[in-house]
Amino acid sequence: MDLTTCRRSSAALLAGAALLLTSGCDFEPHAADREYALSENNLGELADAPDVQATILGALEMLYGTPQEPKFMVTSDWRSDGYNPNWPTYPKGEDGGGDFTDEQLDALYADNTARHAEALALVEAGDYDAVADTYLPQALVQNWKRLMEDKAAGQFDTDGKFDEAAFKDEARRTLVEFYPTLRQSADFYRRECLHCHGNSGGGDGPTARFLSPLPRDYRKGVFKFTALADKATPRREDLFRIVAEGVYTTAMPSFRRFGDAELNGVTDYVRLLAMRGEVETRLTYAFLDAESITPDDVSESYLDVWAKWTDPNKEVITFDGEIPAPTPELIARGRELFMDPAKGNCFSCHGEQGLGNGASAWETDSDGVKHRIKDDWGHDIIPRNLVRGVFRFGRKPIDIYRRIYAGINGTPMPGLGKSTDANGDPLLPGDDMWALVHYVRSLGEKEDGFGLDAFSVVEAMDGGVDPLQHGAPHEGANDEHHGGAQAH
Amino acid sequence: MLTRLFTALLLLAVPVLGVYTFVTAADHGWWMQPEVSTFGQDVDFLFYLILGMVTFFFVLTEMLLFWFVWRYSKKDSSKAVYTHGSHKLEMLWTAVPAGLLVLIAFFQMSTWAEMRFKGSFPEGEPFAHVWASQFDWRFQYPGADGEFGTMDDLESPYEFVVPVNQPVKFVLHSRDVIHSFSVPAFRLKQDAMPGLAIPVWFQAEEIGEYDLVCMELCGWGHYKMAGKVRVVSEEDYRAYMAGLQSEFMNTGMEG
Repeated sequence: MDLTTCRRSSAALLAGAALLLTSGCDFEPHAADREYALSENNLGELADAPDVQATILGALEMLYGTPQEPKFMVTSDWRSDGYNPNWPTYPKGEDGGGDFTDEQLDALYADNTARHAEALALVEAGDYDAVADTYLPQALVQNWKRLMEDKAAGQFDTDGKFDEAAFKDEARRTLVEFYPTLRQSADFYRRECLHCHGNSGGGDGPTARFLSPLPRDYRKGVFKFTALADKATPRREDLFRIVAEGVYTTAMPSFRRFGDAELNGVTDYVRLLAMRGEVETRLTYAFLDAESITPDDVSESYLDVWAKWTDPNKEVITFDGEIPAPTPELIARGRELFMDPAKGNCFSCHGEQGLGNGASAWETDSDGVKHRIKDDWGHDIIPRNLVRGVFRFGRKPIDIYRRIYAGINGTPMPGLGKSTDANGDPLLPGDDMWALVHYVRSLGEKEDGFGLDAFSVVEAMDGGVDPLQHGAPHEGANDEHHGGAQAH
Repeated sequence: MLTRLFTALLLLAVPVLGVYTFVTAADHGWWMQPEVSTFGQDVDFLFYLILGMVTFFFVLTEMLLFWFVWRYSKKDSSKAVYTHGSHKLEMLWTAVPAGLLVLIAFFQMSTWAEMRFKGSFPEGEPFAHVWASQFDWRFQYPGADGEFGTMDDLESPYEFVVPVNQPVKFVLHSRDVIHSFSVPAFRLKQDAMPGLAIPVWFQAEEIGEYDLVCMELCGWGHYKMAGKVRVVSEEDYRAYMAGLQSEFMNTGMEG
């Protein structure tokens, strides 16, 4: 091989390697949606009316902005009231929403103070340039950069001299009172949420197709898990809890690694997407009803949906008193209610053993084919297997209480808390609610969910004990690790 | 001549840049976190021992490569000569690494035994059962009755709170696929296997918050699967458990 060939082949090799390394990259800038889209259903309804599609998208852009610049439109009434939904942490009347109570704001700022302690210490020490090197939320880094630019531009100079005290105050405020703007929260959403929940919140992001259950489609305004009675639209706190704690055993993880400010911010953006989706559907059906969309339709749906989401009078399910102890009698009573078609009727879907295999979870279609019943989003419903002892909304007694009280939104799981029997009396009076709660919780207790003990497997191999044999005599480490699980 | 020089220098750049990267890594924050667990030092000792051996042979072989290219490269027209090699040399470079491997095997035995052997596990009930699932961590503590698997078990996502200077035993589970419970600051890593309950222990020596990461590619959300191990004083640990307990009995009246 002469030198030229050698050079040529190495060049080819290099090029090949470069190609291999970048083959996974997507160079198409339009791969990520840059605009909100109409939902599939609405698009189908308006298939023959492209001009109406454009009208609706235009109206929605006026009301909610774009993915790059999301914002709630401020109505003239709001403006004269000094109310601006885009600034929830500002007190009402100071061009803010005043959405947070004083206690909530204090907690928010305390969380910021703790999380940005290192940066705050640097501010106190006067080492402003080092602040950007500490670990700060991406949105706060932007804010800090802007502050430093202002400093460099001489905004904190009085009579040509740098006013350090004024700057320190502003720097402290930036760090402690950090709350992302909707635009910054939309960035956060694109980084952390979009790949499942989609650009318009339709639960149709690129990774959604790998998931079971599927991610929530916000645009119906229906969210399964809240602490509210009457299937009300969730409060900020309800969505925050889902973001912070995740929905266990689904692909929705806990996002606690982010601070309260960022999580509340992304909750604002999720609310915006949900409201946008609802208004979109309302406008679509307004057109289908009347063959036209009037400005009144637009403002009416905007205000209606806003009022529905921000209604301050939603009933939070609470229990005034102490939770009764889960005595065997109460649990037995719970079992009765579970099996009573006139009372709990739980077995019909959750099965007599609570395995989630009840007959009512299936239906037979006109062709005689049996299939699972569907929820509001058109997905199969698999009733909870209560024996696993894993609950999506949490396993605390009050969590289960709220599920039985209010049901699960968007599914046939009914709320029994306000139900009455044929005589108009409460269906589950007195301790009956708790009897059911404790019975459901006791089902999980029997589960030998702790699996095989790694040591006992080794011992089994040594001593010929079959660890797969349920109830086989385990000795030594096994009892130690299984602890109470085996006592039952 | 120029090509020869260039090739030789390229080969020289490998050990030089390689060593330089390692030496300056700490300045860029790319080195290991400070260790804060009882067996952290032993693990680090083994790490540095192996790193030292590897560095020696890496630099040696790379320098030889550089030297051979520089010293023995011939003009383009010259013909290659066949050589059978040296038996003595081959035996040497087989026997020395083999001996070193045996040495490492002996060195690591006590550390491995301390971390993983049943006899070295702390006595008594585990502090928690840790559940890995796509894509988060859940920590299950015994409730008021001190027993696991009962109705009053407490559960918390994301954050594992443990007392400082106490051997902490927990049992690791997976709900779906293989995950790995890894706390780099503790030099601790254990795979979570579906269907297996794996006992793990550590003893943290400093109060603080430490990253908990999943170290086994467990699906597309693997990078999201983060947690925290918060090491607190005994007092704070009790306070935290009491807080979990009162949260458990919360009836929503406090909002």
